[in-house]
Amino acid sequence: MAGKKKSIWKFGTREVVFAAIGAALYAVLAYATNVLQLPGAGNVSIRPAAVIPMFFGIAFGPIVGFITGFVGNILSDLLSGWGFWFWWDLGNGLMGLIPGLIAASIVDYGALKSILLGELFVILGAAGGMGVASLSEMWVSGADLNTVIFANFIPAFIGNTVNGLILLPILMVAYAAISKRSGRG
Amino acid sequence: MLISWRYKFRNSIMDRIDPRSRWIFSFAFLISATMVWSANFLFPLFIIALIWYAFGQTRWKETRRGWFLVSIMLFSMIVINTIITGGGAGGVVPPGGHVLWPNGFTVPVVNWHIYFGLTVERIWFALCQLMRLGGVSLIFVLIPYTMDPRAYGATFRGLAMPDSVAYTMELAFRFIPTLARDLSVTLDAQKARGYELEKVKGGIFKKIARIAPLLVPVTMNAIIASEDVANAMDLRCFGQAKRTWIYELNFHRWDHMLNAVSVLMLVGIILAVYVFKLGGFWVPEWFMQLFV
Amino acid sequence: MSNQSESPIIVTDLSFRYNSRSDLALNKVSFSVNPGEVLLIAGSSGCGKTTLMRCINGLIPNAYQGDVEGDITLFGQSVFDLEMSEISQTVGTILQDPERQILGTYVLNDVAFGLESLGMPRDQILSRVDQALDRMGILHLRDRETFGTSGGEKQKIALAGVLAMNPRILLLDEPLASLDPASAHEALQIFRQLADEGLTVMIVEHRVEDVLAIHPERVIYMDEGRITYAGDRNGLLQAVDYTRIKLPAEIVMDRARSDPPPKFEPILKQDPQHVDELVKFDHVHFRYDEELPFVLDDINFSINHGDVIAILGHNGSGKTTMVKHALGLLKPTRGEVYLEGKSTRSMTVAAAAKSVGYVFQSPSQMLFAPTVAEELAFGPTNLGMAKADIKNNIQWAIETVNLEEELDTPPLALSFGQQKRISIAAVLSMRSRILMMDEPTAGQDYWNYRTFMDAILQMPGFDAIAFITHDLDLALIYANRIVILYDGRIVADGPPEAVLADEERLIHCRILPTSLLSLNKLHLPATGSFYRAETLAHMIG
Repeated sequence: MAGKKKSIWKFGTREVVFAAIGAALYAVLAYATNVLQLPGAGNVSIRPAAVIPMFFGIAFGPIVGFITGFVGNILSDLLSGWGFWFWWDLGNGLMGLIPGLIAASIVDYGALKSILLGELFVILGAAGGMGVASLSEMWVSGADLNTVIFANFIPAFIGNTVNGLILLPILMVAYAAISKRSGRG
Repeated sequence: MLISWRYKFRNSIMDRIDPRSRWIFSFAFLISATMVWSANFLFPLFIIALIWYAFGQTRWKETRRGWFLVSIMLFSMIVINTIITGGGAGGVVPPGGHVLWPNGFTVPVVNWHIYFGLTVERIWFALCQLMRLGGVSLIFVLIPYTMDPRAYGATFRGLAMPDSVAYTMELAFRFIPTLARDLSVTLDAQKARGYELEKVKGGIFKKIARIAPLLVPVTMNAIIASEDVANAMDLRCFGQAKRTWIYELNFHRWDHMLNAVSVLMLVGIILAVYVFKLGGFWVPEWFMQLFV
Repeated sequence: MSNQSESPIIVTDLSFRYNSRSDLALNKVSFSVNPGEVLLIAGSSGCGKTTLMRCINGLIPNAYQGDVEGDITLFGQSVFDLEMSEISQTVGTILQDPERQILGTYVLNDVAFGLESLGMPRDQILSRVDQALDRMGILHLRDRETFGTSGGEKQKIALAGVLAMNPRILLLDEPLASLDPASAHEALQIFRQLADEGLTVMIVEHRVEDVLAIHPERVIYMDEGRITYAGDRNGLLQAVDYTRIKLPAEIVMDRARSDPPPKFEPILKQDPQHVDELVKFDHVHFRYDEELPFVLDDINFSINHGDVIAILGHNGSGKTTMVKHALGLLKPTRGEVYLEGKSTRSMTVAAAAKSVGYVFQSPSQMLFAPTVAEELAFGPTNLGMAKADIKNNIQWAIETVNLEEELDTPPLALSFGQQKRISIAAVLSMRSRILMMDEPTAGQDYWNYRTFMDAILQMPGFDAIAFITHDLDLALIYANRIVILYDGRIVADGPPEAVLADEERLIHCRILPTSLLSLNKLHLPATGSFYRAETLAHMIG
């Protein structure tokens, strides 16, 4: 049959649904963990929502990953009522897009090789996404590079990376168990 | 968990402006304000933002939480990064300048001698920054309270996004209450198995991993459900033709006027900055006099 | 001959195999339907009925790939020559779970979805939407959010969304699965009426008894991808396996006479001499907020050793709220709930779990671990049990539900029925004394849920069982005590024979009497108690 080889840039009905569900999930999780702020987390905030764009990217491709992070972040800001912050929305989108680039190369989501590749792209995704968002602060708030790196980039990068590294393998293993269920191609 | 949108119809001026014009204005403002550092521009922009915010007719009681979060951000950018460390101004304010306490000062009681290199320029910068970011915040904090959640899909379509992407936004809104409910059902289900989110021993890694019993069922259920959702959409012809959006958007005369204002504002500032080389950072003489 | 080509659906020698599987999902299926007829397609899970619907509505081959043989014509045209947009305006499909096919945040947007996709002019869409809503009698819901509507309303919204596209054929995939009996009854009347107005209605359902009430003109029974019976209603009642699908009780009783009597020995027995009170509700009142009305209104009720309690009541009657109190998830606004003598007020939910284990409707709401063994260890570990005890408990729990060989399997990879048993094992491994279940039959077909309930009631390990259900027959067969809730109050509590005697009260509480209930009441003088139809067959000569 045609379409055996998955194209990562396809955006059909399935992808629309995954992206919408991903974005809604991101928003709900981000909002929920804001509200029930977990105590005693120290410097690295517990932000499980960060893994959602990364995982949706790896599972369903870069466009789904991007919309999950971008729209998801917009929606969570709308829910908490704190406005609309384009550059950070974009950064969260990239955090899903970059890991999404490897979607086509993963066959078995439970395999160690796939998980290690996923983990590598979690780091790249967090670096790229938070990098763009942080650098925008140089332009938006006129800060110098040093401040941007230490005040914006490092905390955001570490927080998202740590959450992603811990939670991505858990989601990939669970997804491996269900991914054979759907007959939709 | 109860999820509710902050939007309410208030019969305000803002409610009468086409959402597309509002986004055009908001982005034109964001870009304009971001390009300039001169108070000559920032002050009028700040006043425009205040007027715009007043159009929304929101109440302090509703927006208070949003402003609380914004003030944390402004505090860290203005007070910490600009006044205290100075790094926040490093990209704009040239090195040097008029240091307020050239010899440092001594904190009474504890007798600590502190060298604090705050300059007059940085104080002025902090004020400019406050107008600039404050203005941007006024424009964007208003959005959740005054933009009808039903309008997003049609609006983004109206702003030239493809149907499929604009519809994704619409569908995401549809799933938020469902997923919020699923999350609380799963939380209850795990609590009934003795799960206590708050009570975790161990470090940060353990704490983050502890979220798995909530995260996994909610995520996997959503993915399983998506097969049915995609089927339902295909069965109702999704993507088969150019979509009609029943949420009706009409530009009125005042919307066209607003669009023109947005474009003029943006073009004017671009000309000022790139052609007339205005808009850079400077400290007025009278402000300098206050400290010398 | 022109009649032939006007036939809404003609299926000829249809076979299908999914790309992802090796066996045939459909094997040489042939049948046809006339306009204005109701066709019932009966069969248990996995018989191929959903695949058949996907072939007719175009999802196969547009969304699902595989090998197709044979043909389907809709009003003389082959589906395989039609575009999805053409099929959708001829065939309207209602999927099993209305929740998942509602696409709009607001009712108006949802009903308009198909017409928006077709790019119809706005004013035409709006008038068609209003017509469709009116036809379903839900014009008043037009501007409501879909999220807050009830299950019955959701189904009407979904129907309106399909009818707005003016289809001539309606496919319904297990349309009763997520409805309570009163809404199911109402839905069936709507389907009949639509057929009488000229639509061809095809209903796929394993709740055969309910659908027979609207007199389908044709009935097909499917098993393993083949049609094993096609004909009228009366023929079906004799042709199919009565343990596989639910037939009217008197038919089952009649047919079961020639088979050996069923073996069913429930373990739990009430002992009036030794009342051991495990849970006690003492004048419990509850509301979520001071401005809201009471959801529970003066509940007094206990669960004793040996009880098997069925909790019946309409949607919103307070069943789930009551159960959440027993779990300590909610605390009473007034009054007290005691677990083994201790008030839940001073108790964490984790401590309450030692007394009461709860199985939610859908097992996928709780399964998360990479292996079944880890899943079963989650509860006891949270309760702080010793390592050795946990190991023993897991072993005992998995043996009790007969899934020893699956200890290393990811629970998410198991079938729905197996997952359901794992969720019981998860409660067993905590050694909770009481098992509580919310809609234990949800999502399973007749044969599967009967096997499941038989197994639970014959397994050791619990001191009492309580379950919430909409299914009166389930309560009648398995419970030794029935509690009926109505608007937050307990209106009846006692043995099934006493509680179910008053039909008027049942109807007032929106519980529909069934053929099994009538049959049992008829024979009560001889039997002294309520039984399943198969047992009655051997008790009454």
